[in-house]
Amino acid sequence: MTQPLILIIEDEAPLRRFLVPTLSTQGYQVDVASTGAEGILLARSYNPDIILLDLGLPDRDGLEVLRELRDWSRKPILIISARNQETDKVRALDLGADDYLTKPFGAAELLARIRVALRHAAGSGRETPLLRVGSLCLDLEKREVAMDAVPVKLTPLEYRLLEALARRAGKVVTHAQLLNDVWGPTGEGQTHYLRIYMGTLRRKIEPDPTRPRYLLTEPSIGYRLNVD
Amino acid sequence: MGRPAAQENPPVTSDPSPASGPIVVALGSDARSLRLVHAGFRMAREQGRPWVVAHVEVPGWETPEEADQARVWLEEAHELGAEVIWLKGPTVVAGLLMLARKRAPSLIIMGVTRARGPWDRLESSRAKEMLGRNLDVRILPLPLDSAPPVDFAWRNLGDLVGIAGALAVILTMAGLFAAALAVVLGFPAVPAVFALALAFILHRWGRVVGAAATLASFLVYGLFFNRASGMVPVDGWPRFMAFAATVLGAQALVDLVGQLRQETRLGRRREAETVLLMLLGRGLARCSTVQEVAGVLVRRLRSLFQAEAWVLLPAEGDLWTRLPGGGDAPPCAPPSGLLPEFSAAVAREDPLEPFFEPPCSFVPLAGTGGTEGLLQIRLASGGRVPQERWGLLQAFAVQGSLALERIRAVETAHSVRMENETERMRSTLLGAVSHDLRTPLAAIQGAATSLLLPEEALTEASRRDLLMMIREESERLSRLLGNLLDLTRLESGIIRVRKEWQPLDEVVGSTIGRLERQGPVPVRVLLPADLPPVPLDGGLMEQVLQNLLVNARLHAGDGEVLLEAWAAPDSMELAVSDRGPGVPAEYQARIFDKFFRMPGQLRDGGAGLGLAICDAIVKAHGGRIWVEDQEGGGARFRVSLPQDGPPPLLPDPEPVPPEPAP
Repeated sequence: MTQPLILIIEDEAPLRRFLVPTLSTQGYQVDVASTGAEGILLARSYNPDIILLDLGLPDRDGLEVLRELRDWSRKPILIISARNQETDKVRALDLGADDYLTKPFGAAELLARIRVALRHAAGSGRETPLLRVGSLCLDLEKREVAMDAVPVKLTPLEYRLLEALARRAGKVVTHAQLLNDVWGPTGEGQTHYLRIYMGTLRRKIEPDPTRPRYLLTEPSIGYRLNVD
Repeated sequence: MGRPAAQENPPVTSDPSPASGPIVVALGSDARSLRLVHAGFRMAREQGRPWVVAHVEVPGWETPEEADQARVWLEEAHELGAEVIWLKGPTVVAGLLMLARKRAPSLIIMGVTRARGPWDRLESSRAKEMLGRNLDVRILPLPLDSAPPVDFAWRNLGDLVGIAGALAVILTMAGLFAAALAVVLGFPAVPAVFALALAFILHRWGRVVGAAATLASFLVYGLFFNRASGMVPVDGWPRFMAFAATVLGAQALVDLVGQLRQETRLGRRREAETVLLMLLGRGLARCSTVQEVAGVLVRRLRSLFQAEAWVLLPAEGDLWTRLPGGGDAPPCAPPSGLLPEFSAAVAREDPLEPFFEPPCSFVPLAGTGGTEGLLQIRLASGGRVPQERWGLLQAFAVQGSLALERIRAVETAHSVRMENETERMRSTLLGAVSHDLRTPLAAIQGAATSLLLPEEALTEASRRDLLMMIREESERLSRLLGNLLDLTRLESGIIRVRKEWQPLDEVVGSTIGRLERQGPVPVRVLLPADLPPVPLDGGLMEQVLQNLLVNARLHAGDGEVLLEAWAAPDSMELAVSDRGPGVPAEYQARIFDKFFRMPGQLRDGGAGLGLAICDAIVKAHGGRIWVEDQEGGGARFRVSLPQDGPPPLLPDPEPVPPEPAP
């Protein structure tokens, strides 16, 4: 089996200098573009398995590049951004990015995110009906939740919320995506519903809700079901 | 008429008034009406009821000037929180009845004047009686003063037929009465009775009607008494002359009284103007920006003069900038060369008349330091401002320019202070930043160059140590830069607080989760299970908690760090406490300042920005952060966040969960 191909769209030379050897030594094939246009061209030519996209590109807005890539590619896209403005990240995620990393970041964190994204992309073809994380077990087929093999009673909304996170396990799911999944179009903008149901859900499945182990908060962005 | 109506008209009060009805203030147009507004305001506040202030416009009854004043009082009432209503009705009583039927008031406050004559008493009591007979409502008459009633007079000047009829009746009565008296007393009674009747008419309806009545009285005398001369000796020229002299003398006397009355009216207008100026002054005193001053001036001028107004400030050259506050753009620009002309006139202390260029008038806003700007007004009529109102207009302009001057002075002082502050900040910032940036950079540079030395010079352990150091120092550098950026963004308003209702445990959970990625976090968390959600910006608040927890852990040593939260009536209270050395009282206020470090404190890698960021974030939430001494030693950082009303309700309660299969 060939090694996964990673396309890096990043204009800053020092970061490329760090990324290319780090990823190569981990056994990935690496391709590099320093502008948005070049990145789109390379993506079309080689169809990489995962794309690392910087939002601040010299020739065009990274979000625009993302939108164009998403028009035809379903491959995971990881956003690398120096901006720590939450709105940009939310917009990128809502446009279909899979995850984001804020500069500066360490190699370990980057490799972990790439692994999750690749694993998820590989598994997205077939639904995994059974999800096990720690002592939490979620059976999507039977619609059952259990902690240490003890069934947990969830209300329909709480279950739908957990299910929406489990279908994208390990990935950040934005508030807007969750609201749409659970409440449908009527939920738009009603983030406080989400927060309150997340609170009740946590009280049912987290051993200590103030130190969540499974349902992690990404402040101002959304939630993530931890699979590590 | 100083006594309350209740004593004269018991049935009115015997009916209980509707418990929840509003308090209605029947408002006249003279300056004393403001007392009614204030009485209504006090009562409405004491009884916790809504209140309505109504003015009844009777066509042809009050002058446009009086109507304008009534509008000003209504505006004042509106500012005090009243609902204001402008009614039109055939009579004041009819208008009030209409209103009362619609709104079912619990109380009507109306002004009454202490009657001077039987006629006044008749009028006032009639108005009240009519209201009282038709309504189940208590009426509270407030004595105004001893001047003749203005509000509830029946001055239906337009009704000429009525007046003519009244004249005929009065003169006929006078004639009959005089004739009767003359039989007993002889001729001298006749002119006296007529003089009395004419004096009454003149007083009642003014000069024109008075002159008509005088002519009519000659007619009556000529026709009636000459014919009746057989009975009473009134015939002959000398007697007619005596009659004429008495009647005309009476007229002259009443004229004098009329002038006095006119002066009283002028006096009352001046009183009204004084109150207006007082209101204007009070409105202007509350202003803190030039725009607000313009707003107050424009609003007051609009209601007083029925005029559109604009406040213009001199811009470059001969141009003017208009301050927001008025409606549309003015119809014409000020003529060029107006400013130097006004300035010269002000310098000469010339009495200024408003400069008129149809359809607008211009008045300078002249302060002590020259002309601050221009007041441009356009009367609804499109004409000049009448001369008798120049004084008032200029008084407005003077007050306005003083307010503008005051604000300018405050702004100048503020900007000087800001400049000093900025300068001080800049030097502190440069000092702190250059030190705090150089230290980790020096370590990174040193470590990296050591690693580049020929390999055999370093053991594997020291190579690893140097690499670890590069990582740690770069993390520290990144933290510092992040803090600096955050603080700059917060202070410049780039970061906007996006409050959303959320449970506090979510923020606490994500904060601790983030900290735990760098190692175990020995923090005890005490959150009540029934803690209500609170409106806050999750990302920013997480930073506050993180900074407080990191600080506490740094100073706690091995002691316990405690994070608690509890709900107060209007706020959410948070406390992070440690068992460290605590913060000495003299530094408790200053530790939230940028780059502040307690003397003697170890440089622990922070630049003294963490608490400044907390302070900026909490303040941006409308909350408060402070530090106090922990009982038994240590510091206790407290945060109080406003609750901003009750939390939003969920759309519908969730159905009961289905029973799982056994």
